[in-house]
Amino acid sequence: MTTTAPPTSPRPTRRARVLPPPIAGQELVLVAVIALMWVVLALTTPAFASAGSIQPLLVATAPIALAGIGMTIVIITGGIDVSVGGMMMVCAVVTAKALVAFELALPLALGLSVAVGGLLGLVNGLLIAYGRVHAIIITFGTMNVFLFVGLQIFASRTVNGIPSTLQFFGRGVAGRTLGVPHAFVLTLLIAAIAWWYLRHTAGGRHFYAIGGDAQAARLAGIDVRGRILAAYVVTGLLVGLASCFLIAQGTSSLDQSVGNGKELAVIAAVVIGGTSIMGGRGSVLGTVLGALLVQTVTSGVTQLGWPSQLSDLFVGIFIIVAVGADLLRERARRRRLRAKGAAA
Amino acid sequence: MTPIRRTSAMLAVVALGILPAAACTKKNDSSSYGGAPATGAATSASAGGGAKAKVAFVPKLQGIPYFEAMNAGGKKAAEEMGTIEWLYQGPTQADAAAQADIVRSFIQQKVDAIIVAPNDPDSMAPLLKQAKDAGISVATSDTDAPNSVREVFVNQATAQGIGEGLTDSLLEAMGDKGTYAIVSCGQTAENLNAWIKVQRDYTAKKYPQAKIVDVVYAGEDQAKATQMATDLMNAHPDLTGLVGECTSSAPGVAQAVKDAGKIGKVFTVGLGTPQSMKPYLTDGSSSASILWDVENLGYLTAWTGAQLAEGKTLAAKNKVNDKLPDVAFDSATKMLLLGPALEITKDNVDQFNY
Repeated sequence: MTTTAPPTSPRPTRRARVLPPPIAGQELVLVAVIALMWVVLALTTPAFASAGSIQPLLVATAPIALAGIGMTIVIITGGIDVSVGGMMMVCAVVTAKALVAFELALPLALGLSVAVGGLLGLVNGLLIAYGRVHAIIITFGTMNVFLFVGLQIFASRTVNGIPSTLQFFGRGVAGRTLGVPHAFVLTLLIAAIAWWYLRHTAGGRHFYAIGGDAQAARLAGIDVRGRILAAYVVTGLLVGLASCFLIAQGTSSLDQSVGNGKELAVIAAVVIGGTSIMGGRGSVLGTVLGALLVQTVTSGVTQLGWPSQLSDLFVGIFIIVAVGADLLRERARRRRLRAKGAAA
Repeated sequence: MTPIRRTSAMLAVVALGILPAAACTKKNDSSSYGGAPATGAATSASAGGGAKAKVAFVPKLQGIPYFEAMNAGGKKAAEEMGTIEWLYQGPTQADAAAQADIVRSFIQQKVDAIIVAPNDPDSMAPLLKQAKDAGISVATSDTDAPNSVREVFVNQATAQGIGEGLTDSLLEAMGDKGTYAIVSCGQTAENLNAWIKVQRDYTAKKYPQAKIVDVVYAGEDQAKATQMATDLMNAHPDLTGLVGECTSSAPGVAQAVKDAGKIGKVFTVGLGTPQSMKPYLTDGSSSASILWDVENLGYLTAWTGAQLAEGKTLAAKNKVNDKLPDVAFDSATKMLLLGPALEITKDNVDQFNY
């Protein structure tokens, strides 16, 4: 590869040379596509570009993007977590019930939800790191277990009369400061931390190494099990926080549909964001952009007055295009590597 | 209705199309239901004397508030009448095959009457025939299987009643004019679509100054329904009304109005369960919820089972109990009608505990 040191790097050391560019091609494409859609929607609909439209759009993007950050790390390691929807149900119903019963303050509610999410993520991580069964099988199993647990906690009733504590992350006035939605800012902040960690720390790079070749990573002295465990726990923690966003965006009652199908929405955001489903490559910035793209499509279709099912079609097309582009990139990369090997 | 599911499901259930639709479109839903335990026959606690007629009710799925409320009504009927044993068992996901298994097991147990809220009316029809051939009385409740041998359909409300009730309540709040939009749920839900058709026709006929500008489909997802309602208000700045067509979108549209600070400018109605709508009815973001008394529907279902099991025929008007003094039976369609749709407002919402 002819990658040169990124210009931002203070000194072009050996380690810096293996870093990918800070913004990958797919992310620039996504930014361009989103910008184009926003411009078109602003010109063709009465109020897309207004604060009353953009603010809720960013709020709706936040939980998927947030859970997507964890999912990105998991997928980079070559795994996947399809239990995210089930985790969201458990976190949301526990938190909602606790809010109703004890009128928890905001930090306590967040802490509870994040702790529950972390616990569920720990279950996934332990089973995957030590179980030697592929992540999709394990998480498919835990998904069903989590949904069962969630439904038991619901006990055949909706949770009604949830206090407005979590509206700090909601769509309404309480969810904004100076017009900026708290949920989205927090998501961006966490994405920035994850981006820096994945890119500039040894621990972060290890996730990529494991996804590229777990055996080689182990031989290189990487604590593969520990890293994989960490990936699922982090996902659980972030899902716990995302669940609070979901409660805030729903209504004052929580029903058993919460989290339903969200694992697919999260995986869609990650894949559209350019993370390779095969592992080894990916970025959380792309995931945030992917989530934003999906929500822009959904809102755009509604605001244009188009039939709702078109948004599913468009998202499907984006997924296929994104995966296709990834496969083409991968093939080109292999060809370059082969050519290099032949030359050597 | 996905896994929601359950709540929305409950109403959705009502809307027969929704459940099966959801189950088809979202694979995870069904798996999530699959996670629930295979419950043994959940028999009501009525002291089972051998002399009592066994009336079995098979809901679309069990464990959701809607059908649990029906179950509560059925148990109450069994206690008050004292002549039947009420059996209640449904699948743990809204799945036609799982439901069929339960109906078969009731046939083998030789109960006296089987009443079903079918997930798939067409595939339920031959089973109902099989039950009838075995000497068991058969009926449907909540959702009909029109092309079957069922002897009675216990109908909670007509499409006409629901559609007109929603329209009248909304247009009263809107001052008989203006534009409004509908946030529906499952796109293939037959009941919801039937209600929407009534709303369109009735609005055009009775309120010439009012117009439905859009119908969108949010699935059984509260957050999505809320976001779509927000998008609709942005797409149509002159919008003054929103309808939430199922139990997940009814509170959703109200929440969207509240979040946008448009209480009093944009009015909403919906098919919401009373307790989930209470905060919105109280703060004015929802003007009314149109529903029926689900417990009474369960009561009427059990009562109907008792009549069938005892071989009685239904009169054109039936006195069931003090709350249901005058239940109409149409012998041409074999339909027993619970009554007119119920308008739930801030004034009567506290009468319902579900």
